Amino acid sequence: MSDGTTSGTGVSRRKFLVSSGAIGAAGLAGCTSNGQNNSGGGDGGDGGDGGSGGPALLTAEGSSTVYPISNKGSSYWNANAPPSDGEYWGSNDEGQVPGWNEIQTDDNLADYFAAKYGFEKTGQRSNPPYNTTVSLSHSGTGCKAVRDELVDIGNSSGPITAELGWSEEKANEEVVDHVVGRDGQPVVVSSDIYDNGVQQLTGEQVRKIYQDEITNWSEVGGPDQEIFCIGRAEGSGTDTAFRLNMLGSADAPMPGVDSRFGQNQQVAEAVSNNDGAIAYMALAFTSESVQPIGIEFEGTLYQPDKDAENTIFDSSYPLNRDLHMYTKITEDTPSGTDKREGAFLNMFLTNFGQTVFVEQNNYIPLPTSDIKSEADKLPEKA
Amino acid sequence: MTRTSNETGAGTGPLAQRRRRFRDFVDETDPGALATVGVMAVSLLSALAGFLAVSPLTIIPFAVFLVSAGYGWLRHQGLTARVLTFSMMVSTVLILLLITVFIFVESIPVIRYESATVFGVSIPGLRLFTQTQWDAVSPPIRYSMVPMIHGTVMVTAIATAVAAPLGVAAALFLSEIAPPTVREVVKPGVEILAGIPSIVYGFIGFTILSPWAADQFQTVGQGSYLFVGIVVGLMALPTVVSVAEDALSSVPESMKSGSLAMGTTDWQTMTSITLPAAFSGVSAAVLLGVGRAIGETMAATVMLRGVPQLTKPLYNAFYGQATLTSLIANNYGEADGLQMDALFVAGVILFITVLLISIGAQYIEWRMHRKLGGDV
Repeated sequence: MSDGTTSGTGVSRRKFLVSSGAIGAAGLAGCTSNGQNNSGGGDGGDGGDGGSGGPALLTAEGSSTVYPISNKGSSYWNANAPPSDGEYWGSNDEGQVPGWNEIQTDDNLADYFAAKYGFEKTGQRSNPPYNTTVSLSHSGTGCKAVRDELVDIGNSSGPITAELGWSEEKANEEVVDHVVGRDGQPVVVSSDIYDNGVQQLTGEQVRKIYQDEITNWSEVGGPDQEIFCIGRAEGSGTDTAFRLNMLGSADAPMPGVDSRFGQNQQVAEAVSNNDGAIAYMALAFTSESVQPIGIEFEGTLYQPDKDAENTIFDSSYPLNRDLHMYTKITEDTPSGTDKREGAFLNMFLTNFGQTVFVEQNNYIPLPTSDIKSEADKLPEKA
Repeated sequence: MTRTSNETGAGTGPLAQRRRRFRDFVDETDPGALATVGVMAVSLLSALAGFLAVSPLTIIPFAVFLVSAGYGWLRHQGLTARVLTFSMMVSTVLILLLITVFIFVESIPVIRYESATVFGVSIPGLRLFTQTQWDAVSPPIRYSMVPMIHGTVMVTAIATAVAAPLGVAAALFLSEIAPPTVREVVKPGVEILAGIPSIVYGFIGFTILSPWAADQFQTVGQGSYLFVGIVVGLMALPTVVSVAEDALSSVPESMKSGSLAMGTTDWQTMTSITLPAAFSGVSAAVLLGVGRAIGETMAATVMLRGVPQLTKPLYNAFYGQATLTSLIANNYGEADGLQMDALFVAGVILFITVLLISIGAQYIEWRMHRKLGGDV
């Protein structure tokens, strides 16, 4: 999706936002008549609390980083594609959606997920059991909106504790935190280095490489080859995050960097074209010649394998941050997540959702264990 | 009445003369046309004022201008056309002026930041050039322009070394040696080459030339001034060939014939008559090529490393860091604050350099025109 560029906070994401924002706005315009009655209440669990007949419109707002995931999910949901579609839902001669083998249903997309929580199926394209809409603002705005019950789901790229200055306890009392994906960068090396024995590094080694204290692969168990150290555009979000999480502070010097690129494609191309390269970049651009490596950080080895005990997809991996969708705990829904929200969020916690909405937007899908623990936060299925 | 004013006007110098001419113009012109033109002028000026004040009402005077221009075009075409063309000329100049002023104004904060004290006098912007460190993130934050100027000089020098001899030689062949049919086919062909988008060159450089060069010269990773210079030189080649060929073929035939009549060979005529006579035109061609090399952005950006620092030693062309243009192209998306202003400083330096070069080329062309008097 998008045009497949920076997964950090690059220009291309903004471009993507502009284009999909237009779609979102169109969607919003289409459902305002339906939404105005109900948008205030996050309590439409059993449906039918407004004048419009069906369950209330599901509203979400917040971070531009979470927006691509949330908005793409919303667009798919509202389109309610039939299983014969093949491109957006189900399978046909031309192809099938990722993760379809686990789903295998005769229902339309939104019907399938909504029916799990007892909503009535419509069986019609473009007519889901209830509509969803996502607005674009900032993480802080999204958190405030869900706190004040202006929207059902608040999107945030930072924890709500940091956004609103809450304590952990207060956050646990007020909202439920649904993590739908991660934003971050695995460290990658060129294939000649990977094949010659460097398949993991310690955080300290990575720091030394980027700060020019290690300049040859032989110092970290690799071949006798100078390290071609690739960084990202100076001062970009990706660059700042890397300095902060790997090098210790947001303004840590990086004298070891030989080359800087603005986009993931350029990084991938440079890593595959040059021997002895190391870089950090979005997962979606890794390949045979651009290999993600394991990172040992404070005694824990984070492996580039989805099913390992500790993986580079974990939230504790230092180059990652969680992408949150918060729902509000109210008197009507003490569990914090009503059925409308549950059905929608559940869509993201399938292999289908992780691939289509998270990975295709160049974010990091959740590892298997996290999908399970996130699914446990959702209400009981009907 | 008119007579007297004419006489007084003529007596008191050019200003009064102009006033008199204006009065004559007003007297002679149809009042309707005059009113239309007046409305156009006033509405356009207030649109400009609204634009500068970033007013949402700008659209109103602009719409009035469009309507009055449309009316004027139908009723008083001659006068309206004169006013329209004049206002277009003025707005072109004005737009250029605004851009220039904007670039300079935007660069002021970083020029202040990089002040350095010499003999107790603080000189703004001096530190941009007296130290060589660029670091926009980790302290001490420094925005030295020296690495980028070095990079630009390296790339331009190498590009010139490629484009000048090749270009002049090709132009000489096309103009003096090649049969007319070859010339008629090759010359437009070369000019088409000038239209190839620079990203195409950059792409080939990034994916094929640079990795190959890194492999052959065993540098750490790809990106070298040498190959950027070669690619940019090849890009500038068509310009050099085309302009130099024009200059060479504008040397009057009589001069060449005269030389040949003295018994010289073709080659002797070329080296001792044609080339010296067209020297200023050929230099202008090379200068234009250099101008293109300095301003070249896309190819340099994708092929260079984007880490602003000097190469060691200075003449080491096998590592390529950044040029003034690639610095801007690499960082405009992420930069803010002083870093953004520093990019504007790079823009100012480029602006001044290219301005000087194009003035130089114009001057040389003017000299050639005067010397030979022919068409250029």
